Amino acid sequence: MKTIISIDIGSTWTKGGLFVLSPSGLKLKSKYSTPTTQNNLIQGFNEVLKGLTGQDINGALAGLNDSTEVFFSSSAKGGLKIAAIGLVPDLTLQLARLAAMSAGGKVVGSFAFTLTRQDVEALERLQPDIILFSGGTDGGNTRYVLDNARRLASSGFSCPVVYAGNRAVADEVAEILKNKEVILTENLMPEVGQVNIEPAREKIREIFLKRIVQGRGLSELVEIFGAQPRPTPLAVFELIQAIPRFNPDWSDLAAIDIGGATTDFYSNTESYLETDSVILKGIREPRVKRTVEGDLGMRVSACSLLEAGKPYLEARLISLGLALEAMERFVQKISVDNDYLPETEEEVWLDRILAETCVYYSALRHAGGWRETYTPQGKVYIQTGKDLRAVKAVVGSGGFLSAENSAEVLRLPLERLAFYGDERKLLPEKPSFFRDKDYLFPLLGNLVEKYPQEAAILAVASLEKLG
Amino acid sequence: MKACESKDEKHTIILGVIGSDCHSVGNKILELFFTAEGFKVVNLGVMVSQQEFVDAAIETNAKAILVSSLYGHGEIDCQGFRDLCLEKGLDPIVLYVGGNLVVGKTPFAVVEEKFRKMGFDRVFAPDVDLKKVAELLRQDIEEKFGSVRKPETVEKNQEKKSNK
Repeated sequence: MKTIISIDIGSTWTKGGLFVLSPSGLKLKSKYSTPTTQNNLIQGFNEVLKGLTGQDINGALAGLNDSTEVFFSSSAKGGLKIAAIGLVPDLTLQLARLAAMSAGGKVVGSFAFTLTRQDVEALERLQPDIILFSGGTDGGNTRYVLDNARRLASSGFSCPVVYAGNRAVADEVAEILKNKEVILTENLMPEVGQVNIEPAREKIREIFLKRIVQGRGLSELVEIFGAQPRPTPLAVFELIQAIPRFNPDWSDLAAIDIGGATTDFYSNTESYLETDSVILKGIREPRVKRTVEGDLGMRVSACSLLEAGKPYLEARLISLGLALEAMERFVQKISVDNDYLPETEEEVWLDRILAETCVYYSALRHAGGWRETYTPQGKVYIQTGKDLRAVKAVVGSGGFLSAENSAEVLRLPLERLAFYGDERKLLPEKPSFFRDKDYLFPLLGNLVEKYPQEAAILAVASLEKLG
Repeated sequence: MKACESKDEKHTIILGVIGSDCHSVGNKILELFFTAEGFKVVNLGVMVSQQEFVDAAIETNAKAILVSSLYGHGEIDCQGFRDLCLEKGLDPIVLYVGGNLVVGKTPFAVVEEKFRKMGFDRVFAPDVDLKKVAELLRQDIEEKFGSVRKPETVEKNQEKKSNK
């Protein structure tokens, strides 16, 4: 029997779980959480360790013997910042964005074609943690990539550059950028329409693991436990990837995690079901996909949510007989006081509408769609993006959705999204809804690398089906 | 005579059926044929928009775009194709079009004239000999871009152009 401690250092809460691993599987024994200590993360971490083991910190640390393993993750403010550079917006740039998000990053800037002076200034201002640099198929365009490399070389940023563009000029790009840290990897799009984001994702992941420990006491934790922290979104991504492998009934799933600052949408399903009447345009998206929306969130991003989500939000307010002013006042309040919880019945509804709006727009951006077209051969559908129709289970996770015991907050916005403009959105058809009631996904995600089967099975077993 | 032997020296060409046209058989034959002729073929399949042709040509640094149209609406679909190429910086790209380009019994010379005016370098009737097309394609590409086999000739050609 083994004791496993998994701790996730989030932007507001540090959460931990104590698990027991026996031949019959993995079990959750206790949970503990405390507000994150921003200046020195180790304090909050130790607090959780004490809470989980029921001992003082020296006792807790002394009790960590050979039969105890510790894993931890850090949300790193919603994922590290990645700037994506591609050539054509719908091709290499789109893939660069996908690779960045699937590696657990947050895309802070996207740049197509030639980097202008303003683009380079924006890059310097954004201070990304990584620049993902792509463009051109293998043996294809070199002009833009070489041009952009020269522009990057003379710019003042200091973060590493992951080059995942035309292989033919990879060495030349490295040479031009010799004053920067350059990591060469395989092309994101070796041929038109051929998706190869895994190698770039792996490189970004490696940089994350190195970078995430810098500052705020994390390196101390690495020394004590001899383990690297994982970025939280990456941990959850790996869990979503592992679930179908060990749970035969869970071949196709999606998960939505609404946080204070971001909304993450994960899916694990085939992106295009080939038939004669459906023609895919643009890239064929990967089976496991994460998108993250920095403007959709329940607290820190509530103001931008009010802006980005207005059409849905207003329609819901009207149907519930609530005033927009009331919503604006509420958003004002929670933007200042991020820990605020609704006190009146009206505020409970306003909070719910915010969550619904996050679901609606994160699904809109994650899922693909069909447009009907008539041809002399009959009616056909043009598909862009990812088909989620085969998804049978939708899991709600994160502070709000873990606590929500009705499926409505997920079901309603997805139903209303059936059509968007003239596009039929390819959303799950009659899915079951679940909640990650103990908010275990990040904690179990930490264990996936070492215990994929045990973590994936407990993840599903710990879900509660919603009516 | 095969113009390009080794893998890296092949000319890249873009194939596709434009507009709302689903005729896929001829498209597949063209892909097989031009691949056998030693071109690197990027086949976008059926129902391809002008924007998709151009995007693919940019990423792959293609030398030519071969547009097919079978269903009679080719004239509408191809309107402004060359202009879009110029807008996107694909100035010297070779543009071919072929198929059943218009509905009805318009003499081919009239059809050809129409598409030439739109900026297509060559226009082909449905019964054209593909061997001849491949031959012309090699000639046209080498005329516009120079031979890919000898880099020094490419430079010379470019110098010539810039001297003009």
